[in-house]
Amino acid sequence: MKDFFTRNRTISIAVIGLLLVIWELVSRITGARQILPGPADSITALIHLFGEPGFLSSLTSTIIRGLLGFILAFGCALVIGILSGLNPVVEAAFRPIIVLFRSVPVISIILLALIWFKVEQVPVFIGFLTMFPLLSTNLTQGIRQTDPKLVEMARIYHVKEWRILREVYIPSILPYLFSGISSALGFGWRAVIIGEVLSQPRYGIGSMMQEAQSFLLVAEVIAWTLIAVIIGYFFEGINRMFESKIVRWNR
Amino acid sequence: MEPLNLKLSHVSKHFGDRKVLDDFSLDIRPGTVTCLFGPSGCGKTTILNLLAGLMVPTGGSINGFQNQRISYIFQEVRILPWKTVLANVLFPLNGLMPQEDALRHAREFIRMVGLEKEECRFPGQLSGGMRQRISIARAFAYPSSAILMDEAFQNLDRKLKFNILESFKNIWTKDRRTVVFVTHDEEEAISLGGEVIFLGHQPLEILKRVPVGEVPEGKWKNLVAEIYGQ
Repeated sequence: MKDFFTRNRTISIAVIGLLLVIWELVSRITGARQILPGPADSITALIHLFGEPGFLSSLTSTIIRGLLGFILAFGCALVIGILSGLNPVVEAAFRPIIVLFRSVPVISIILLALIWFKVEQVPVFIGFLTMFPLLSTNLTQGIRQTDPKLVEMARIYHVKEWRILREVYIPSILPYLFSGISSALGFGWRAVIIGEVLSQPRYGIGSMMQEAQSFLLVAEVIAWTLIAVIIGYFFEGINRMFESKIVRWNR
Repeated sequence: MEPLNLKLSHVSKHFGDRKVLDDFSLDIRPGTVTCLFGPSGCGKTTILNLLAGLMVPTGGSINGFQNQRISYIFQEVRILPWKTVLANVLFPLNGLMPQEDALRHAREFIRMVGLEKEECRFPGQLSGGMRQRISIARAFAYPSSAILMDEAFQNLDRKLKFNILESFKNIWTKDRRTVVFVTHDEEEAISLGGEVIFLGHQPLEILKRVPVGEVPEGKWKNLVAEIYGQ
């Protein structure tokens, strides 16, 4: 089994290496390094970014906006998702709203949000609207998948309903919750950055990307993209760490 | 706690066209041990589920268990995978007694089923038989008026099964809970004493009620063969 994972990791690293080589080659062959800078140029741009004024403010602003959107989405999803899973009437009431959130194109929401909210609030709102349906649907699914025989057992033993919720339903939805957080954050960071690109708050990864793009600083756009990817990986790692600490019984 | 009187009066239970019970009556005296013995699929579990209030009869009436505490060992293991062995046994005890007493009580029954070394492990780390023993410990530890057991010992090896049954018999002589258990194992059927009710095929009927003490040792096989004609 260990050999299997080592082999898979070697294959992944080899593919990444190959892509980097192709990228560098295409960049050299076309000779248009300003339009398509190679990996080395992009890494250099990334290192330069660290020293630039406003780098830390942009990074922290985006993270704070993403986390704010996530906390709002998580809070609402916790209440609505769990109630929808427990009660079909609540689910019927909220289903159209969830479906609406999932179906409306992000760009429409951003255009409307630009009219309705302050520029600082737009990315948070976009993040919230992207993450909320994913979290809520996963929580409802988790409640639905709770083994009814375990609930029946708890009722036979006269366990109080609030304890059934806390000790039977909640633990059984945890794997769904973590998977929901993973996909919500995956889409959420991208949505927040799109929101920043279009709403142009003073600081934010999206604002910096837009600025670099308008000056045709492609290497800088790629460097900010790499930072966005690193943020995504970092929070995915935190999510996995919590999952492995909390969902211990699955191991 | 007052022992529980269990009674099914002219009960019918239909699943679509299938009549599992039809005008079936059964009276079980409180504080006794009763074994429901019969072939697989004859409807023994349906009787337990009706007694436990987990099923609603199609017709007839059921008396005896309203608002009373019962323990139920299900045929399939119903334990919480996210709780350790100890936490699973404590699950119905929490809130019923002070924490210290609940812990002592739970540990007593965990020891009885031989899981004292595994009390901090999760069910996923244990074998099927060990998981079933958690259900047994939980049911015995719960201070109930009646215990219902549905093929509770089928996954256990013979020696362990009879050790647990023997320990349970000792406890039962003190608390005299009403015990109704389902099995198709002849040896298990007579292990706790009391009365064996032989059940026939669907719609379920009582073929014979035999107090265990009335049949001489070694004659059970003959009796079963006589009742079921083989």
